[in-house]
Amino acid sequence: MTARIPRRLSATAAAYVVCAALFAFATIHSSSFASAGHVRQLLVFASFIGFAGLGETLVILGGGLDLSVPWLMALGGMQLSIWSAGGMPSGLAIVLLLAIGAAIGLVNGLGVTLLRIPPIIMTIGTGALVEGYLMKVGLNSSSAVTAPKAAQTLVENRVAGIPLVALVWIGAAIVTWWVLKRTVFGRSLYATGANEAVARLAGTRVVAVRVTTYAASGAAAAFAGILLAGYIGQAYLAMGAPYLFSSIAAVAIGGASVLGGSGSYWGTVAGAGTLTILAALLPTFNLSNAALNIVYGLVILLAVGASRIARRGAG
Amino acid sequence: MSAVATPAERATRATGVSLGRLPRGQWGTVLLLVALVVADVAVQPNLADVDQIGLLLQTALPAVLLAAAQTLAVLSRGVDLSVGSVMVTTNVLVATKLGGIEGSHMWAIVPIVAVGVAAGLVNGALIAYGGLEPFVATLASWAIFNGVALLILPTDGGAVPTTITNLVIGKVGPIPSPYVCVAVVLAFWWFLRRSPLGVRILAVGSDESRAFLNGIDVRRTKLWVYGMSGLIAGLAGIYLAGATSSGTPAAGDGFLLPSLAAVVIGGTSLAGGRGGIGLSVMGVLVLTFITDLVTNLQLPSWVAIVANAAMLLLVVSIRSLPNVLSRKETP
Amino acid sequence: MTGSGIQPRPAAAPADPPPFGAGDADGLRVTGLGKAYGQVTVLEAVDLHARPGEIHALLGENGAGKSTLMKVLSGVVHADGGRIALDGRELTLGSPDAARAHRIRTVFQELSLVPDLSVAENLLIEQLPRLRVVGTIGRRRLLRAASALLDAGGLEGIDPRMRVAELSLAVRQQLELVKALRVEPGVLILDEATSALGPSESAWVLGHARAQASRGAVVIMISHRIAEVRGHADRLTILRSGHSVATGAPGDFDDDALIEQMLGRRVERLYPERTPARERVVLRAKGLHVPGSFGPQDLELREGEILGIGGLEGQGQRALMTALAGAVPFHGEIELNGEPVRYRTPRHAIRHGIVFVPEDRGAEGLLLSHSIRSNIALSSVEKLRGALRSIDPGAEREATEREARAVGLDVRRMGEPARNLSGGNQQKVVLARALLTEPRVLLLYDCTRGIDVGSKADIMAALAQLTARGVAVVYYSSDAAELVHLCDRVMVVRRRRIAGALDCGPALGEEDILHLAVGTRGDEEEEAA
Repeated sequence: MTARIPRRLSATAAAYVVCAALFAFATIHSSSFASAGHVRQLLVFASFIGFAGLGETLVILGGGLDLSVPWLMALGGMQLSIWSAGGMPSGLAIVLLLAIGAAIGLVNGLGVTLLRIPPIIMTIGTGALVEGYLMKVGLNSSSAVTAPKAAQTLVENRVAGIPLVALVWIGAAIVTWWVLKRTVFGRSLYATGANEAVARLAGTRVVAVRVTTYAASGAAAAFAGILLAGYIGQAYLAMGAPYLFSSIAAVAIGGASVLGGSGSYWGTVAGAGTLTILAALLPTFNLSNAALNIVYGLVILLAVGASRIARRGAG
Repeated sequence: MSAVATPAERATRATGVSLGRLPRGQWGTVLLLVALVVADVAVQPNLADVDQIGLLLQTALPAVLLAAAQTLAVLSRGVDLSVGSVMVTTNVLVATKLGGIEGSHMWAIVPIVAVGVAAGLVNGALIAYGGLEPFVATLASWAIFNGVALLILPTDGGAVPTTITNLVIGKVGPIPSPYVCVAVVLAFWWFLRRSPLGVRILAVGSDESRAFLNGIDVRRTKLWVYGMSGLIAGLAGIYLAGATSSGTPAAGDGFLLPSLAAVVIGGTSLAGGRGGIGLSVMGVLVLTFITDLVTNLQLPSWVAIVANAAMLLLVVSIRSLPNVLSRKETP
Repeated sequence: MTGSGIQPRPAAAPADPPPFGAGDADGLRVTGLGKAYGQVTVLEAVDLHARPGEIHALLGENGAGKSTLMKVLSGVVHADGGRIALDGRELTLGSPDAARAHRIRTVFQELSLVPDLSVAENLLIEQLPRLRVVGTIGRRRLLRAASALLDAGGLEGIDPRMRVAELSLAVRQQLELVKALRVEPGVLILDEATSALGPSESAWVLGHARAQASRGAVVIMISHRIAEVRGHADRLTILRSGHSVATGAPGDFDDDALIEQMLGRRVERLYPERTPARERVVLRAKGLHVPGSFGPQDLELREGEILGIGGLEGQGQRALMTALAGAVPFHGEIELNGEPVRYRTPRHAIRHGIVFVPEDRGAEGLLLSHSIRSNIALSSVEKLRGALRSIDPGAEREATEREARAVGLDVRRMGEPARNLSGGNQQKVVLARALLTEPRVLLLYDCTRGIDVGSKADIMAALAQLTARGVAVVYYSSDAAELVHLCDRVMVVRRRRIAGALDCGPALGEEDILHLAVGTRGDEEEEAA
C-alpha cells in the first residue's frame, strides 16, 4: 500500500541522502571542502541553480518545460547593469526586471496553452528573441557589463554568518512549499501535470495554472540572473548558458517526474546542492568545465532512470 | 459507379493525396520562399548567379543536414535536441584526428562517421529500449556530447585536411558541390519515403500502438530513426569543418533552433507521421534567405536571430490557429 | 439508411468451396482462459468452442470481457493461463504477428489502420518488404496490389492513395475488413465490425462473414445488435463478468433469457426503487447545437428525474453531454431553474451546479497516481479552504470521507493511489468527486461500462437517493436494458438528432429503444432481406 505523499517524500529524502553522501565524500577527498568559507560559497552557488530551478520545477510539475531560462537570466543580469549605469535606482530596476521576466514567461504560457505550441518550440523561440535583444544592447556577445552594487550586496552580505542570498533562497523554498502543498494553485498544478484532461473536466483552471508557472519561471530566472551578475561582478550574454542543464538536472535529481504531476521543490533544492558539490569536486580531480557538461547529462539520465525504476516498483 | 465514389472524391479534391504531391497548406511556405528569394535578389542583384547561390547553399548546408536529422526524429513523434552537439563532436574530431591539413590519417574519417552513428544509437537505445522520453534522452546527450566536444578541442582551432575542404568548396564536374549535396539529401529522402523503413517510421510517428498492432517492430524502427539522425548530424559536422577549415566546439547550440524552425516552417507535423525532409529543406532555405536578406540590407546580425525566431513562432502559431479556432474543446 | 460508407458490391457466394480443414476439424477451442490486470480479473476460466464453417457470436454487456478475449486471440494481449487450440494444435499467441501467422485475422473495433498512411500502405502494411516497395516501380506495385484488394472486396470507389485519416469512420471500418481478408483466414474475428455502418454496408460485412464461414473458416462475431446475432450467427457464447456462462444456438434463447444470462440476475433486482420525478423543470436547453456533432435540439430536465440518453455509439451523445458539461463549445441557450445561464468551461458549469462524470476512468476521470482522497476533493478544493486561504486538511478529510461513504467506498483506503482500485470502485471515486460539488444536475456518461455488478448496484442506489432529494440526472448508457429499467424517460439519439423520447414504464422494452436507435421498423425489414 503506497500513498502519494510517502512516495514523494522518499524521492526527496533520497535526493538529500545523495547530497549528504556526496558532501561526505568530498570532505574526505579534500579536507578544506567543509570549511565555513567554502560552504558559504557553495550555498551561494547553489542558490543560483536553486532560483533557476524554482521556476523550472513549477513548469515541469505542470507538465511543461522552459528552455528560455538561460536567456532570461542573461536579461536579468545585463539589463540591470545597463539600467544602473544609466542611473535607475537598483530597487526599481530589480522589480521591473522581475515583472519583465514574468511577462515573457506569460507569453510562453499563453503560447503553450492557448495556441498549443509545444513548450520546447515556444520557449526556444522566445529565448532566441531575448537573445537577439541582448545582442543588440550588449554591443557584442563577448563584452561584459558591470553589475550594480545592490546586486553585489545581496550576494555578499551575511546574516549570522549565512549568506543573505541563501536565506532569501530558503525563504523562497518555504513559500513555494506552502503554495504547492496547501493552496488551490498547488493542488491544481499537481492535477494538471498528472493528467490535464482529467483536471480540466473536473473544473481545474488548467490554463491559468500553466500560464502562471511559466510567468513564475520567467521571473525566477531573471532574479537568478541578477544574483549571478551580483556575484561575478559583471553580466554577459552567455552567463546563463550552463543553467539550462543544471536547472533541469536539479529538478530530476529531486525526484520530480519529468512528465509532470509529482515532485516537490525541496527535491530541487537537494538537487541544486548535489550539482554544486559535483561542480566543486571536478577541479580536485583535474577535470575541466567541459566535464561538467558531461556530468550534467549523466546526472539527468541517472536521476530519470532511478525515478522510473522507483515508480515502477511502487505503482 | 460515380455516385459511389462521392466521399472519396470530395476528400481528394479538398486536401490532395498524400503520396508525392504537396498538401495544400504547404503552398503558403513555397510562396513565402519565392517572395524571400525575389526580395533578396532585388536587394543584391549579384545573387542571381549560380556560384553565388552555391555559396549561400554552402553556408546553409550544415543546417540542411541538421534539419534533415531533426525531421526524422520528429516524423517518429520524437525530437532530437542533441543534433547540434553530435555535429560539433565529429567536427572537432575531424579538426584534430585526421592528421592536419595534409590529412595523413584520412582513414580515420570512417570511425569518425561511426561516432555520429553511435551517438544516434545511444539516443535511440535510451528512447526505444530505456523507455525515456525523447526530450529527456536527447537533452542529456546534448549536454554530454557538448562536453565531449569541448574535451577534445577546448577552443576553436585544429586543422582540417584539404581533401575535405576541397570536397565542400569545390565542384562535382561542372556543378558546385553544395547543389550536389542538397540533391543527395533530397534523393536520400525520396528513397527512404518509398522504402518499407520509411513507411514504418511514419506509422510509428502516426500511431505507435496501431503500428505495433500491425507487426511493426516499434523499438527497432526508433533505433533506426535516431541512428540515422546521428549519422546525418555527424556528416554535418564534417561538412562544417570543411566549410570553415577549423573545429568549432561551441557552435552546436546555435544550430538547434534553426533545425527545429526549419522542420516547423517546412510543414512537417510535430505530432509525427506527416511531412518529410524535402519540406524541411524548404524550411532551411526560408531561414537562409531571411538571414541573407538581413545581411544584404546591412542590418546588424542580431536582426537575423530575431527574424528567424519570429518566423518560427509566427509559422507555428499560424499552423495551430485552425485547430484552435475550430476548437473541439473549451480551454 | 446508409452510413457514410462506400456502397459495396455484395460478397459473392462461393460455388463449391473446398473445406478449409479436414472434415472433422475441431476449429478454435479455448479452455480455461484467464487474464487479470493487477487486481482486476477480466477473464476467468473462459471456455469457447467455435467450429469451422460456423459464425459464432460472442455476447455480453460492456466489460464482460469480450474485448479482452478478442485481444488475447489476436495476440495483442497475453493470457495468464489457459489453452488455445486450433484444429487440435495448441497455439502460443505471443504477438499480433504470431496470431497472423496462424491465419487468425481480426477486424478490430478500434481499427488497426494507421491514420497518416495511405489506404494502400495500410492494406498492405505487412507485405511492404516483400513487395520490394522502393522507388516508383515499387510504388506502382503497391498501388496495383491495393486496387486489386479493394476490387476483390467490392470497394472499387476508394482511391488507394488517399490518407486514411481523411476517410469517414464507416469507410475505415469497411477497409478494416478488406485488410483482414487479404489472406484467406483460418479464423476471422469481427469485433463490432458493423458499429458505424448502415444496413446495406452491414449486410456486406455479414455477407463476407458468411462467405468465409462457407469456406470452412471459423468466424467469431462480437456484436451488440441482437437482431444481427439472431439473423446471422449459427451459435453463440455469452460472457458475464469474465466468465463464459452459456452457449448454444440463438434459437435456444429468447430475449429475456439472453439478457438474464448477460446480466446474471433477474433484471429487476439490479435496479433500485425510485421516487417519481417532480414537475419542476430544472434545466432547459433551447437549440443546443454542437456544430458537426449534435443538434440543434431542445431538451428539458425535471427535478429528481433520471433522463436516459440512448442510441448506437457515436451518434452525437457525447457531444450532447460534453456540451451540457461545458467541455465543448456549443450554440444555444441554457436555462437553470428558469434563469438563463452561460458557461464555457467545465469549471463554470460546476459553479452552476452541473457536473460531468466521465466514463473513461483512467483517461478522463481520475488522476491515477494521486490518492483517492485528493481525487474526490479535486473539483471542490476551493470550498475546503480554511485560515489564510490554505486548504484545511481536516475539512478535506471529513468532506471526502462523507462522500466516499455515500457511494460505498472503504474509507480506510483513502490515502491509496486511485490506480489500486477496481474499475467499479474507481467509478465510485469519480462519482464521489461529483457529489462533493453539491450538484443540481449530474451528467453521467456510460458510467457503468465495464464494472462489476455490485458496484453498479451501489452506484444506482446512490443515484436513487440523489434523485429523491431533487437532483436531476442525465444518464447516457450504451446498455438499453439499463435505460429501460433505471430511467424515467429515454431520449434516443440518432445521426446527431433526438430520434424520439420514450416514457419508461412497464410497457417499454429494449427493442423500442433499439428501433429508434437504428431507424424505423421499415428499415429493419430492409436489413433482414
